[in-house]
Amino acid sequence: MAAAIETKQLTKSYKSRSLGRINVVDHLDLTVEEGEIFGFLGPNGAGKTTTIKMLLGIIYPTSGEGYVLGREIGDMDVHKVISYLPERPYYYEHMTGMELLKFYGSLFGINDRAKFEMLLEKVNLHRDVTKTISQYSKGMQQRIGLAQSLLNDPKLLFLDEPTAGLDPIAHREIRDLILSFRDEGRTVFISSHELSEVELICNRVAIINKGVIERQGKLTDLLKGGRIEIIVNGVSEKFLDDLKITDAKVRTVPDGFLLDMPEDADPNGIIDSVRSQKARIISIVPRKRRLEDLFVEAVGVKPFTQKSNGDVKTAGTPKPGGKKKITVSEEDSK
Amino acid sequence: MRSIISIASITVGEAVRRRVLLVILLIGLLFMIIAPGLGILSARSELTVLKSMMLGIIQLTSAVIAIVLTVYMIPNEIERRTIYTILSKPVQRWQFLIGKYLGAVLALGLMMLLMTAVLLAVFLYMHQNSAEAMDIAKQPALYFVQMSLLAAIAIFFSTFVSPLVNFFLTGGMYLLGSLFSPFFKTLEESGGTSMVVKKAAQFINVILPNFAMFNTQNTIINPNAQIGSESGYYIQAALYGTIYIGILLVGGILIFDRREV
Repeated sequence: MAAAIETKQLTKSYKSRSLGRINVVDHLDLTVEEGEIFGFLGPNGAGKTTTIKMLLGIIYPTSGEGYVLGREIGDMDVHKVISYLPERPYYYEHMTGMELLKFYGSLFGINDRAKFEMLLEKVNLHRDVTKTISQYSKGMQQRIGLAQSLLNDPKLLFLDEPTAGLDPIAHREIRDLILSFRDEGRTVFISSHELSEVELICNRVAIINKGVIERQGKLTDLLKGGRIEIIVNGVSEKFLDDLKITDAKVRTVPDGFLLDMPEDADPNGIIDSVRSQKARIISIVPRKRRLEDLFVEAVGVKPFTQKSNGDVKTAGTPKPGGKKKITVSEEDSK
Repeated sequence: MRSIISIASITVGEAVRRRVLLVILLIGLLFMIIAPGLGILSARSELTVLKSMMLGIIQLTSAVIAIVLTVYMIPNEIERRTIYTILSKPVQRWQFLIGKYLGAVLALGLMMLLMTAVLLAVFLYMHQNSAEAMDIAKQPALYFVQMSLLAAIAIFFSTFVSPLVNFFLTGGMYLLGSLFSPFFKTLEESGGTSMVVKKAAQFINVILPNFAMFNTQNTIINPNAQIGSESGYYIQAALYGTIYIGILLVGGILIFDRREV
């Protein structure tokens, strides 16, 4: 399958008074396949939006290469078949949904009322045609944003925090719309830190932190490593000794013993043994590895990479607001 | 071209809804309506005072509207992220900038048209002299070119400075170009000044937009003052304004094209 997005060592640096030159996006190697929903995860300030802006040609990379639908980033022809929904977008408030679609449509040379009506219906705003954007709720604004992003029938959609600040109902509506995009064969690139949302809809993810990709791959592969916990009561010492030669770990708990084993281990053998001993199984709980676990493990606390006079240095985590002075010690730079 | 027209039309829509601009316009219109009553405060003839005040009010109001309208135009688009949605479509940065500028000029033109209509209505109500009223109406046309130039300066600066700095820079250039351009011209042509001063005055005169060129109030107010070839002067002024605007927009586009937004 062809790559919808491909970056090779894509880097964006900014000069900071206190930190010198900072790589906000640091030698990013990213591949997004066509037709998938790709989750681009990371904490605030990780470099997600900067990456999207580079891919859209809104800001320019400092170094590296990037390709969108096979064309170099910044190629204006690609803009005809891609779309972007920014984080917490603002739309011209005096306009109605229809007028807004007409305006964005005109930028593509589209003036098709039937299409505008169809899109309003798709995002469930067809009953609010007389309302202006200023009268829209947050969820409605996000839905009109999605409608405008579908005007050009895009092959690739960039959605930056599409569910940020929305209530659970709106969350669900947006999620269903995104899933419908995949069913229509579109590629969706979602930047988010709403992990539960991403886990539900994405095929593959990349986790970025301080500009560096920490993890990238299929969700099913990345989330391998779950556990199965079986609590048993009334088993013999010998049974427990025998377990030590398997992958299972044994721990004493108030109800008896907790047998902790990898998710790919076969629990049936142990269950049969417990039954044959006439012992009691209290509970069997599969502990699936969650995206949240992976995210915390990948992100942790990691310093920025800083360049000064051509040398790469480490500067420590910047303070909130970015105004406080950060001292770079000799130890930090090693 | 369709992108430029779309961006221009949405800019007009936004501009005519901005309360701060409407308040400035309303104050201007209010002063124009009460201007005939203020003629008694001056020793000059009532007609002279009326013409002078009305044109002065149009100029001042238009200048304030032009600056307030344009200094926030590009920064607002970036802050509200509307620029990202637009630039992610097949729209080039120069198209965006030109669209915004044309929208601003169009909105400004609409507001100035309204002020000119009020000027004519008040003048005709007071003096019932339609020939003279038409003569006065020529000045707002020149003011429009002047304000278009002012808007181009503000748009140029807005591509690389903050709105506050832009406000003072544009306002400062307007004052300098309106008040001191004739002074630099005199200095440049004066026989008694040294060559260095002459050259400096010449340089400043070339760089500084000559806003005074668009002010023909004196010939309108004073029946004895006349322009040699009126149509020639108007064409020359319009040409000067257009070339200056063109240079500023090209400069603005070159800066904006490389700018991180």
